[in-house]
Amino acid sequence: MKKILIHVFSVFMILSLVSFSFGQDQERKLFNAVSISPGIGFEYFKRTINWDDDQYTSEIKSRLFTFGTEVELQRGVFVRAFLGFSSTEYESMVFRELPVSVQLNVGYINGYVLGADVKKSIVQSEDLKVDAFGQFFFCSGGKKEWEIPGLPVEGTVEGRPTWMRATIGPVFTYTGFDVLYPYLYLNFNKFWGKFNMDQTIQDLTGREEKKILGEGSFGISLGFTFKLTESLSLRSEATFIPYKDGTDSGIMVKAMYTLY
Amino acid sequence: MKREKPLFAFILIPFFLFSLSTKLFKIDSNRNQTSRLMQKQIQSPARQTDPSQQEKNVVAKGSLERRAGSTRIEKATHPSSQNNESLKFLIDSSGLTRVERKQERDTSLSRENFIILNEGRPYSCSGRDYAPDQVMVKFKPAVSEEMREIALSAYQPRKIRRIPRLDIYEVHIPEDLSVEEMLYLLERNPDVEYAEPNYIRRLTQVTPNDPLFSEQYALYNSGQEFGPPASPQSGTERADIKAREGWVETLGDETVIIAILDTGVDFNHPDLDDKLLPNGYDYANDDSDPTDDHWHGTHVAGIAAAETNNGEGIAGVAWNCQILPIKVVFVPADPLEDPYALTSWIADGIRYAVDSGAHVINLSVGGSTPAQSEMLAIQYAFDNDVVVVSAAGNDGGAVLYPAAYDTIIMGVAATDFDDQWLSWSNTGPEIDVSAPGETIFSLYPTNLVSPPFLPYAWASGTSASAPHVAGLAALIRSIKPEMSAEDIMNIIRYTADDVNSATQSGKDDFIGYGRINMERALVPIIISALLEKR
Repeated sequence: MKKILIHVFSVFMILSLVSFSFGQDQERKLFNAVSISPGIGFEYFKRTINWDDDQYTSEIKSRLFTFGTEVELQRGVFVRAFLGFSSTEYESMVFRELPVSVQLNVGYINGYVLGADVKKSIVQSEDLKVDAFGQFFFCSGGKKEWEIPGLPVEGTVEGRPTWMRATIGPVFTYTGFDVLYPYLYLNFNKFWGKFNMDQTIQDLTGREEKKILGEGSFGISLGFTFKLTESLSLRSEATFIPYKDGTDSGIMVKAMYTLY
Repeated sequence: MKREKPLFAFILIPFFLFSLSTKLFKIDSNRNQTSRLMQKQIQSPARQTDPSQQEKNVVAKGSLERRAGSTRIEKATHPSSQNNESLKFLIDSSGLTRVERKQERDTSLSRENFIILNEGRPYSCSGRDYAPDQVMVKFKPAVSEEMREIALSAYQPRKIRRIPRLDIYEVHIPEDLSVEEMLYLLERNPDVEYAEPNYIRRLTQVTPNDPLFSEQYALYNSGQEFGPPASPQSGTERADIKAREGWVETLGDETVIIAILDTGVDFNHPDLDDKLLPNGYDYANDDSDPTDDHWHGTHVAGIAAAETNNGEGIAGVAWNCQILPIKVVFVPADPLEDPYALTSWIADGIRYAVDSGAHVINLSVGGSTPAQSEMLAIQYAFDNDVVVVSAAGNDGGAVLYPAAYDTIIMGVAATDFDDQWLSWSNTGPEIDVSAPGETIFSLYPTNLVSPPFLPYAWASGTSASAPHVAGLAALIRSIKPEMSAEDIMNIIRYTADDVNSATQSGKDDFIGYGRINMERALVPIIISALLEKR
């Protein structure tokens, strides 16, 4: 965990310095970019997942703290890369293919997250803007080891979860207000991942790879961008992903500073 | 638009939207919140039983004398016997008050009189994890009772109930709030020490409806009285193999076969007849009729897999697994002569069991000398992922063969109703685990009993311990069909309870890794955050 934090912090510092240096020198424009905007973000979401070939359903909850930089490569085309810290709870996941079955009730597992998104302006009218937006997240939990309680000999399980999320769809933004731009993002929303678990009890060993698939494939995000100043903007978004038996949801807050 | 307002909106709107989402979109708290494992449950419909069988009485049998020089049936002894001599006793109607009372009660019962618990299904821990309309609140000690109730009423609860002395409040939340929202609000109240959902706890045990289950302390020991009415006993609460907890996970798969290599089985026993495969064989007489002409094999088979939850008789460890009867023990016509098994019959029986698709083999026989042909047959079983379980012996000496072949076979010692090792149970490094072997209640052949006795009996010995382990091996095979024999044997070993750890920590020569624990071997072990290795 400590290592992950150090890595994430190091990358954060490097990106901050790079962004700051670009900000200091207006002449040096990255890739001749139109603009460059570093930012920080927080996201929390709950997602219903299926595992063991849809036999079981449970939920994951994840908190993501990200730092990223958005670059407007050419007018209307934005690319953002980000990375950060993740904390994900895999609720009551049961591993029955291990020699000795175990159920994980370990709370949040920390790890790192990285990803990218791309936005391209499609339509721009007086009060309405339509963009095509796609985003990809990759989250890897740190390798964790737990003791198996109650055995007459020492036994451990070692788990490593990963998940990915991809969304794509149109964003409809109302630009009629001065500084507040509400938007609606209709998206195809795919969530998948796996949880590898290794068990060692003396000479008894086993491995189970559990594939995870998120319920629901389409999401609706409602949000707004608020320009505090010419350079500083805040974005907030709530996402709903309906599925057969309910609706998953999430919330995201992001602050961005445009250097030029 | 002024800057202040959007800034305010920036904070409030996401929160509002998120809260709205949990309500308008009915975030599925039934399935989504916490554990919602939707495991398929196994139904075990009760069978029709013959009420007339209830009218029979109970027979308690001791065991056979030893026969030197041949592989023999493990001697079963009763604790009242002196110097490990075998004790043979019959229970008749005179002076058996407890059993007679049971009989009077039982004879009036028909199948309709039994309650089928939970419609015959095991209780499961799946489903909603907490009450959808209640939360539990604890205030800080400094807050007076009056202040607590004023504070709670501000949330407009539908009902408040205080648990006296603990000063915890069960709060029935307003209809327009979810549990999550209520907790969110309460957690922000500085007077609240904590607020939590009103969690639901469920039964995590399966109790079969077999009326004589209470005699089977080995499966569930509540400290109840059991045993022959002439010498009733009671043990330590929960000194048992945790069968009821293990059955929550599985009752066994009908395709899993336990081969009982013994004196044969009673094909007409009402608590066994539907579990027996027709393709058994008698190697002792070289014919295809492995009918029990003794009692040992029927008793052993009943422990491993008697018909269970059928409203009759006893429960077997592996409810749904099948039994392949293979007779390898010859029973002489002269009752003064001891039954015996030749290693050639045993070897042939093992080979036949493996080739017939058995997954587990129980061998409650033993001898003091190793035999290569027998070991070769057990190796054949092991190589074909068939778990072979054998009794360690009852003469207090070294572990007998085949149990002593060590890594390719499970050697089973005996413990009692207090989880104590029994002094007549053989010892040695070949002991893998132990299981109850003292005053074990199981089946008795119907053709050897006459009214008013019932075809059930108590017996003691490692012969009775081994089939508990064989039953567990069959249950593990049922839920982990890909596991090797070695893995299944290790699961049984490494999930045992080290019940003598106070004096013999770790694996020892008396009870091996410990007394088997079905719950730990079958039910997922909960790993909490506290168990993380740093």
